[in-house]
Amino acid sequence: MKRQDERSVGELLLDADFTTRQGLMDVTGQDAPAMLRTWGEVVQSASELWATLPKPVGGANSPIDGVTMARLESMSQAMHRNQVRRGWPGDGPSDERLLRVAETFTRAADLIGRRGGHIGPTDPAIRADLDAARMRIMHTLYVGAHSVGVAAQQHVADVELSTTPGMSDRESRAVPRGQEAINRLAAFEQLAGAYVGNQFARAAQGEHVHGPHGTERLQQALIGWDIQAHRTLAATPTPANLLLTSRTQAGIATAAAAILHAGARTGHVDTHAYEHRLAPTLDATQQAWTHVAKRWAEMTTPASRTDLDLVHAAGELRAAVREVAHDKTTWAHPEVMAGRVDLGEAAQHLQQALSTAVDLACVTRDIAAQDTNLTGPARAMSHRANADIDRAADSDRRDEDVVWVTSGDVYANRAVTIPEPVRAGLVDASDTLVQTAGNAMSAAACLDRVTQDRPPASGQEPAVPRSRRPEGPAPADEDITCVARP
Amino acid sequence: MMTNDTIDQDATDALAAVARLLRHAAVRAWTQAEAEGPRSSLHLLGLGIHIASCQVMAMLPADADLEGQPPTQNDVGQLLRSADELIRSISILDQTAGISPLVVAICDLVREATP
Repeated sequence: MKRQDERSVGELLLDADFTTRQGLMDVTGQDAPAMLRTWGEVVQSASELWATLPKPVGGANSPIDGVTMARLESMSQAMHRNQVRRGWPGDGPSDERLLRVAETFTRAADLIGRRGGHIGPTDPAIRADLDAARMRIMHTLYVGAHSVGVAAQQHVADVELSTTPGMSDRESRAVPRGQEAINRLAAFEQLAGAYVGNQFARAAQGEHVHGPHGTERLQQALIGWDIQAHRTLAATPTPANLLLTSRTQAGIATAAAAILHAGARTGHVDTHAYEHRLAPTLDATQQAWTHVAKRWAEMTTPASRTDLDLVHAAGELRAAVREVAHDKTTWAHPEVMAGRVDLGEAAQHLQQALSTAVDLACVTRDIAAQDTNLTGPARAMSHRANADIDRAADSDRRDEDVVWVTSGDVYANRAVTIPEPVRAGLVDASDTLVQTAGNAMSAAACLDRVTQDRPPASGQEPAVPRSRRPEGPAPADEDITCVARP
Repeated sequence: MMTNDTIDQDATDALAAVARLLRHAAVRAWTQAEAEGPRSSLHLLGLGIHIASCQVMAMLPADADLEGQPPTQNDVGQLLRSADELIRSISILDQTAGISPLVVAICDLVREATP
């Protein structure tokens, strides 16, 4: 099922601009035919979006603005007709990135057409935002035209250098046709560049920017991470995925301690609660996740792959944490963090993350205890099994001298099913993890403003989920009930 | 994203070396973080390096040789700088398109690791 696009018009415009800039970084001569095929679509969708933007009231803007876009569109149409007539670059695949830019423009036009048609740009702030939007569209076309031109130039140079005698007609046509495309794109770029001129920074100042002053990104990243971790572990519970999950959860605990410490220092979080309940339990859960992560790491090989969706979710979470809590190479000063976001609000998001961490800990324990497909490299598994046996109190077993991994497997370092002592050690570590995660959740209940404001319980079972119960600090030996894996 | 089956041998070797350097750097960062304690910001640096190494792995062909010799350096900053130099040496072709964000990510990690 296709996920619903929830980006705002501003975010869509930024995305289009960013995509063309990224394209410029990677563009090669081989991209030229696909880019030339797709460029017309980008310009057309940009022109349609331009037309949907509310018109300046009383002709406050220069009439030249609209004329520039009309000229660019007619140039692009002429270029397209020429390509069709001369059969170059001919049929073939589209350029994915430019296609995405065109789709992004179309989506923005659709949003404005359906929801923003009533806007009368009389307010100076709205007018400034509209100017910024026009500038953003034009800048995207400017950079985009440049990258298509660079690709075409590179393509022509590649073909000219090629000395292959059996060059096809289509390939040999690439030089003059490509040169013509380069000239037309240069004219397009100059026209768009004249609009952008040195006004880009000034116009962009009027852009209505949502964030980064807010905890929304952190909240979204924490939620996105939780959902993705559950999905990945349900589908592919490999040691590599469990390693990244555990390390990221440890990172959440570390970041939570830093942000809540800043909250306590700046009066957003109760200092006593932080020092005596939150900090110790966060430290313990961080260490438990780290310990489990090291166990999973032993079961990976250099060739192990990690689910890319999980990697992206972890990357976004790390970036969101850095935005709030980092300053160059270390944690930002509490006052700096407080200046960036509402630390009380951030504490609430972290409280929810600490609640959901208990479920991920349970999922981890279930996999450790029940997944019969878990394997690891023979040498590491043999070493770990012997180390765990040596550490165990069961002296009878130690004397048995059990061979957990065959010498042949060790020699070839094959992937083997994890030996019993390794699984036992993993289950022990994940039991501790579930316990410490539960303690951290209980301690963090004091951060929940909703439950704090709620009247005392009247003896009835609360209707809120367990993770949000106002139960206060739980005894350390509280039994945590795991929910079923998704 | 590139199609990793068509990547040439030189680029594969360079990317595999980058993956090895990053993996080693992540382990070193986490070891230092553990020594500093659960609140060390190095935990998140290690995570960032590990994420980058996962992204490099995703660009490699399934049969790429990743065993190799472990890097001789132990300094996280030095390891990252070596990875940065290596990844910049890879030519951007059709097969390696999409590598630029990774170059930027490693550059950011170098900055994050260098006081």
